[in-house]
Parts: sequence; C-alpha cells; structure tokens
Amino acid sequence: MRRVFRIPFTRGHIAREVDDELAFHIEMRVQRLIAAGWSVDAARAEALRQFGDVANVRDDCVTMDQQRERAMSRANLFGELQQDIVFALRTLRRNAGFTAIIVGALALGIGANTAIFTLIDAVVVRTLPVSHPEQLVAIGDPSRVSSFSQGSPRIDLLSAPLFNDLRAGSRSFSGMLASGHPGRLDVRIGASGSELEHPRGRFVSANYFQLLGVSASRGRVFDGGEDQNVGGSPVATISYGYWTRRFHNDPSAIGQTIIVQDQKITIIGVAREDFAGDIVGAAPDLWLPLTMHDALFPNLRLLDDRSSSWLLALGRLAPGKTLEQARAELIPLISRSIVAHATGPSAKAFSADRHTWFISSGAKGFSRVRATFEAPLFTLMIGVALLLVIICANVANLLLARAIARGREMAVRLALGAARNRLVRQLLTESTVLAALGAGVGLLLAWWASHGLLILAADGGTIPLSLRLDYRVLLFTLALSCLAVTVFGLAPALRASRVELASSMRASASSLAGSALGHRGQRAPLGKLLIAAQVALSVVLLVGAAMLVHSLRNVQTVELGLDRDHLLIVDVDINARGYSGNRLTNLVHALQNRITSIPGVAAFTYSVNGIFSGSESGTYIQVPGFVPRQADDSSIAYDNIGPEYARGVGGRIIQGRDLTVADEARYPAGIALLNESAAKFYFPKGNAIGQFVRFSDSIAVQIVGVMADTRDHTLAGQPGRRIYFPYLNTDTALTTVGNLRLEVLTKSEPSALVQQVRKAIVAVDPSLPIDGVDPLTRLMQQSIREERLVARLATVFGVLALVLAGIGLYGVMTYAITRRTGEIGLRAALGADRIDVIRMVLFDALRLVGAGIVVGLGLALASTRLLQAQLHDVGTVDPASIAAAAVVLTVSAVIAVLIPALRASRVSPIVALRAE
Amino acid sequence: MLDRDGGLLRGTLDVLILKALSWGPRHGYAVAEWINMVTDGALLVEEGPLYTALHRLERNGLLVGEWGYSDNNRRAKFYELSREGKQGLRAEVSSWERYAHAVGKALSATTPAEA
Repeated sequence: MRRVFRIPFTRGHIAREVDDELAFHIEMRVQRLIAAGWSVDAARAEALRQFGDVANVRDDCVTMDQQRERAMSRANLFGELQQDIVFALRTLRRNAGFTAIIVGALALGIGANTAIFTLIDAVVVRTLPVSHPEQLVAIGDPSRVSSFSQGSPRIDLLSAPLFNDLRAGSRSFSGMLASGHPGRLDVRIGASGSELEHPRGRFVSANYFQLLGVSASRGRVFDGGEDQNVGGSPVATISYGYWTRRFHNDPSAIGQTIIVQDQKITIIGVAREDFAGDIVGAAPDLWLPLTMHDALFPNLRLLDDRSSSWLLALGRLAPGKTLEQARAELIPLISRSIVAHATGPSAKAFSADRHTWFISSGAKGFSRVRATFEAPLFTLMIGVALLLVIICANVANLLLARAIARGREMAVRLALGAARNRLVRQLLTESTVLAALGAGVGLLLAWWASHGLLILAADGGTIPLSLRLDYRVLLFTLALSCLAVTVFGLAPALRASRVELASSMRASASSLAGSALGHRGQRAPLGKLLIAAQVALSVVLLVGAAMLVHSLRNVQTVELGLDRDHLLIVDVDINARGYSGNRLTNLVHALQNRITSIPGVAAFTYSVNGIFSGSESGTYIQVPGFVPRQADDSSIAYDNIGPEYARGVGGRIIQGRDLTVADEARYPAGIALLNESAAKFYFPKGNAIGQFVRFSDSIAVQIVGVMADTRDHTLAGQPGRRIYFPYLNTDTALTTVGNLRLEVLTKSEPSALVQQVRKAIVAVDPSLPIDGVDPLTRLMQQSIREERLVARLATVFGVLALVLAGIGLYGVMTYAITRRTGEIGLRAALGADRIDVIRMVLFDALRLVGAGIVVGLGLALASTRLLQAQLHDVGTVDPASIAAAAVVLTVSAVIAVLIPALRASRVSPIVALRAE
Repeated sequence: MLDRDGGLLRGTLDVLILKALSWGPRHGYAVAEWINMVTDGALLVEEGPLYTALHRLERNGLLVGEWGYSDNNRRAKFYELSREGKQGLRAEVSSWERYAHAVGKALSATTPAEA
C-alpha cells in the first residue's frame, strides 16, 4: 500500500530539491551581476546564459538523484532484512521450546511430502539417465519386466526372432535394443567352491549401451560386436552399484572371470555410475549379451523360439520420426511376422485390431514398480498434502496465540514509532525462518523416510531404486515451504498489524464482560476457524484411512476356495539340476513319498505355477460351439497340476472328478479340469464334462471335471477362467517345465512343518535348490503388500492428523479458558457448580468440533471417490468408515478439551475476581 | 573511480570539483566561482554541466550532499568529499602529475626520436 504512494512522493521531492539548488545558483549569480552594476533584467538574462540549458541539466540531475535513492533504499531493505533475520533468530532462540515444536511439526509435514514426492519423482516422473530419452519408444507392456510367456505369440512381450524381424524391418528407428529377464542366475565369484550367489542379471542386445548412449566408468561396455557370434561372447558388464557392493570398487574386478551357470564369463567393465538399466525399480547387477542366453541355459533355448516371449524392446526414433509413425509401422510389422510364422489356425487368424498394443514412449523406461505403486503413491501424496495443510493450520494457530500474547510488545513498538509494515515484515520473517528450518529438517527426515518407505514397500525383499534429492525434489520442497509460510505466516502477521494501540496497552487479560471465544471481539474467530478447518481435514484423512483399512480387511478375509490356514507352498528349482522326463517323474514321486510320511501332513500335490507365487501362465483355447467375440474371449489362464490337486489345496470339485494318479499313468491322456468360471463361460448350459477343447491349435483335451473357483494369485477382483492339465503329461505340459511347486496340506499350523519339509527335500536331492517354503498366508500377505502399505501409511497420517487436531483444540481451549477465568469465577460465585462449568466449556468446544466434522464429512464424500480405484468391495459412501472417523474424532476432541474444562471448573471465585 | 567517458574535459571538471571541495564543504555556486577563478573562466563555458557533474559524483559516492544555510542565510545544498572522494582526489592528482610531466617532457623534446 505504502509503496504505491512513495514513488511519486519521492520523485516530487527529488525534483523540488534540484529546482531549489539550481534556483539558488542562479539567484547568487544574479545578485553578483547586480552588484557589478548590471540592471536586474540584464543580470537575470546573463545568469541564465552563463548557466546554459537549465531544463536539460535539471533532468540529468533528477535522474541521477533517483538512481542514488533507489540504490540506497535497496541497501536499506537488505540491511533491514538482515536485521529482521537476526532478530527473528534471537526471538526464536529465546522461545526454544515453542520453536522446536513448530519446526518439528513443519519438518514432519514438509518431510512427509518430500518423501512421497521423492518416490513419485523416482518412479513416475524421472526419465532414464540416458542420452535423449525422449527419442525412445517402448515396445512391450512396460509392467512385464520379468515375465516369460510360452505358447501363442504375444504382443505384450517379444520373442527373440520377432525382435530380430522388427529390428531388420523397421525404418522408424535409428536403432533398436532388447532386454530380457534371465530368471535366477547361479553365479560363483572367486575361488572354486565359493558360495553360489544370485545377482540380478539381464540379457541385453549387444547395442544396448551404444544405443542408450551409456558409457563405461571403468573398462568398457558392450560395443555391439557381441551379437556377431552367437554363444561366443562370454562377457559381462556390471553395474556401478554391484561393483561397489560386491567388489568394493576394486579395479581388478575388470578382467576377472566369474562362473555364471557353470560357465566362465569375463567382466569387461563397469557401466556409468548413474545408469541403473532400462527397468525402473529393478536395477540389475550385471548385463549379459542376449546371444549368450542359449549357451548359458542349454535347457531353455530361446534365441530361435518364436513361441517364447520374454523381451522388451526400446527403439530410438530416427531423426524426424514420431511415436505415431513408429506405431503405424510397427503394428503391421509385428502382425505380419506373427502370421507368417504361425503354426496353427488361431495365430493365422491373428488380427491386429483385436488387440491392445503396447507401443508407448520409452523415455521413462519399463517398470513394474511404477505400474504397481503409481496409484498408491498419488493417494499417499494427497494424504500427506492434507496433513501439511493441517500442520500449517496448527502452526498458524500457535503463532496467532503468540501474536496475541505479543500484542503488548507490538503495541509498544508501534508506540515507539516502528512502522506497521515493518512489524508485519518482522513477523513474516520469523515465519519464513521457521519454514526454512522446518524445510531443512524436513529434507533430512524425507531422505530417511523415503528409504524407509522403499523398504516397507519391498515387504521383506528389495526394490533396487535410486532415490535422489534432485533439483525437482528440492524445488518441490522450496515451493512447499513458501506455500506453508503464506498459509501459516500471513494470518498472524496481519492480525498483529491490526493491534489497537489503546486496547492492548490497557490490559492483557480480558474483562468480565469479554467472552473468550469472542462472539463479539475479533480476537479468536480466526483461531476457531483454524481449529474447525483442522477438524474437517482430519475427518477427510480419517475417513480415507478407514476406507482403505476396510478395503484391506475385505481383501484379507475374502473366500479363497483354498484351505488358507493349512497350506505350505514349496518352490524348488528343478531346471537348475536339469530334471526332465523320467528323472522328473521319479523326483516328484520320491518327494511325494518323503513329504506325505511327515506326521501332520494331510495331503500333497504339485503344480507349475503354485499358489500366490507371482507367476502365471496363459493360453488360448478353442471350444466347439463357442464363438469368441473378442480376442480376449479365447484366452484362459492355465496351470499344470499333480493328481488330487483339488483335495491337496483344500479346493472343491463341483462336477466330474479330480485328476488321479491313474491319469498320469494313462499317458498320453489328453484330459483337463476347468474352473467354475471357465465352465460357465464356455459351456453356459452346464454340460462341460466330456467335451473336448483344443489348445495350442492342435491338441484336444477332454474335460473330466470342474473345480470351484479359487483365488490363487490375486485377492482382488473376481477369479478368472482357468484350465488345469496334468503336470507329468508331456503332451499337455505347455511349458518347458521350469518350475515345480509343491502344495502341502497340513493338519495344523503349517509354519511348524517348514523345517521338516526342507529336510525331506534335502534327503531326496541335496543339490536341489529350494527357493522357498512358505505358508500360504505369508504369500497372500505379500501379494497385497501395496494395499497393506497404503492402508498402514494412511492410518499413520490419519492418527497424526488426529493428534495435531487434538493439540490444537487443547491449546485453543486452554487459552480461551484463561481469558474467561473472570467470567467463570463470577459464574461460580453466582452459584454455578463444577458440572455446569465443565458442561459449558465442553459444549463450546464440541460446537466447534461438530461444525468441523460436518464440513469434513462433506469434503470426504466429495473426495473419497478418488480412492475408488483402490478399494475392494467398499462403496463410495462407506457408513462404517464415516462412523468410525466421526466417533474417533469426537472422543479425541472430548479428551483434548476435558483437561482445560476440569481446570476451569476448579477456578475459585475469589482468585478469579481478584485477577480482574 | 571518475567517469572517464566524457573525455578530457569532463575528467578535468571532476578533478577540479574534488579539489574545490578539498578545503571543506561548499555549495555548487561556490564551487563554480572557485573553478572560474582558478581557470580564468576557461573551463566552465557554461555552469549547468557543473551540476550534472556534482550529482553524478554524489550518485557514485564520491560526494555527500546536505542541505544547509549559506553565508547570506539562504537554504543551499552543500557538498562534501566522502572517504572515496578523498581517495579519488589523491589518485587523480598523482596521475595528473605523471601525465602532465610526461606530456610536458614530450613537448619540450629537442630531438626527433630514432625510428
């Protein structure tokens, strides 16, 4: 306000001074000339002539004076700012406890926001640290980073020959690379007989590093020549992180030979430090040339196999080409390649427009972590943003209370001549200093919290993801702090500037007539408003948290169709020991004998994918009389299972029969089970038993039974269609059998049998790698780790909000009661008893809380629909959650207010009246 | 320290102003009178530019201006050398002496230099 006035004022005063100065000069000259005998008029004319161009000189002088004035006021401002900061620091140090509380609260809010944003930045926002990431095009489903699919050709993953077709046929790209997950690598480093290690590896085309523009930090990276000679390049490039962790940055690691899958591989170099591969959240330890795959895994030959899809590709757009052009070129290219090499009728009928294509920008790389955590992270972001607003409201309230307490100080300073805007600036400086301190501590907190969150999110495993406080995170924190200052600093500052000199000087305590919560006075309404707002926002957070918890409970207690409390799932790596054919049959039977003889084991069966193992298989089937309307209609999940599977997993046969040992013996059998969903979908008349379905375009199998639906890989959503084939029947064993999962049904707590089952397996084959022996409940928990994480964190935020609202309420009521001591004393003197006083105070506070809850519920109803995508079986309006939030808040509010209310009820009339 | 872009004349004026003020605060008219006296009116063809120079020197921090009263009791703006102004004068005087000595020596030379 003031500035607007000052500029013209200043200008005028400068011009006036210059005019005075010049007038003085001319006047002196005129007098001198008159004294020398000139006439008055002649003297004036001569003086002006001697002076020269008056107007010009005047303008020059004014300009220079203005420049000087501006420089001075800048210096002044800077000096005042310095003073303000020093003064603020001194004031804050004097009230160390107060400062610590505010800085702590702000650090909590800013830290929580920064932590979540750091994760969002790392997972969702940041592009790959490669040259020109914007030119990259991702081909394949970005979330299927470690998938492997066998059977009909797919378009969400590429087979090695399909990738070669694309690389040779595409004109949109200046280059194209592929990478694929190798499964578990068995690696020995150092002297023979050293422990087996399982670093995370990735097969990549030899042009990988060149195309991405990633150099070596030591040694060299693949130079593109490794593809020339299939199986003839036993080399590896390792990541900087692995070099540090495993080799302690020892330069002699380069050139060292390590044993990978019993073969010698030479480490040729370490990739650039900031490069963690093309998969976000799955930083590999070492990269192997794609063409080495079959040499390293002779049991799983993939390089010429068109039915094995396992690669994701990145293309670098040629100059002038766009993503759309690449897409328009790739779709027919992929379709042609698939049709040209199809082996059966379903693939020949492949039609491009019946599929969802996965051709997208590759700037951010591929990531399963992103697909999984993107939505939860944004939910949490909203949660912590609300938390910060609550904290700001709280801090504003504390500062407001103090500003009122400092009313006298302000008044004295005003009376002594301090400028009002200077006082406002002083208070804003204090707020800014507080926010800066909060942001500083918050950043530290965020650094710690984001890593903590990553560990929580990994749920026992690891998510190799580099978290950095990059410029985006720092900018975010800065913006957040500025916002916070505006929110919490402005109100007290403006409030303080309105200090009435007279009234503040007169007294600090209020009079009998003054009502504390100020229906009349303008003292507390802002504080009340802030409390109500805090309560309202807490309601939103609490309702959200309650809904997430409710949803989690729904998921956890959903009917599985399995015996959830008595299943032990064992994962053994038969591929590592090369089991197949008769050796595999013998192994399975030996395991069965050993394990079923353990006391407490009720049943035993086995399958390829197991239950809640994270791996699934899918295929397409043809059903006579069934006309698919979409490509998806023919797709079905499948598994290869052992005899008496339904009994072994605690499932139920609802039509026909289970598989038996006899089915395995009757080789080749050509029989299968359907689950209920599949039976209803393909045979709506309920006549599935005895029918034949075809899969892989040629093999026909007869349906012998229908099993009740089971939720065996995901708890959310409805179970999908599923078909089961006998495990040991090689004709129907679709996969190159790479896995064997044993399902052990126990009579009591399954975790008690883990050691005995392990011993039984070792007794059969001591060298058979055991990847896991886990009770079903644990695997289930792992499968819903995002839900659990989000629900847990949302609850933490909700409780924090609740506590903060409680503290705020407590503070405001305590303050209000102090101000009403006189009134309460008078009431007591006039005969009000303690209960009346308590009731009065409680009523006052609860009116505030009630208003907050009502507003909060409105906000919650409007905003929780944002959560809908993450909820299972919870409606947009969830009465249970709303009731829970309202009750928890009201009870907390009563507790927060009860202490000051009790204190008020003990006010002695004499003391209260004497204080007046 | 002084503005040189005005060429010899302006540089000279600046130095003379500083010199004029080296005996204590004076107002612009007194400075003009002193310069006219010591240069026989050769330097200040017009008096206006003196004020431009005074305000420029004030802006640049060599002078400090303050309002006061003149001998005949009229309000006038007095200029005084600041610390920088005193240093500037010293530096200018010594460089002027070097310069004058060099030019003087050159002009009083009696033989052409060897090519």
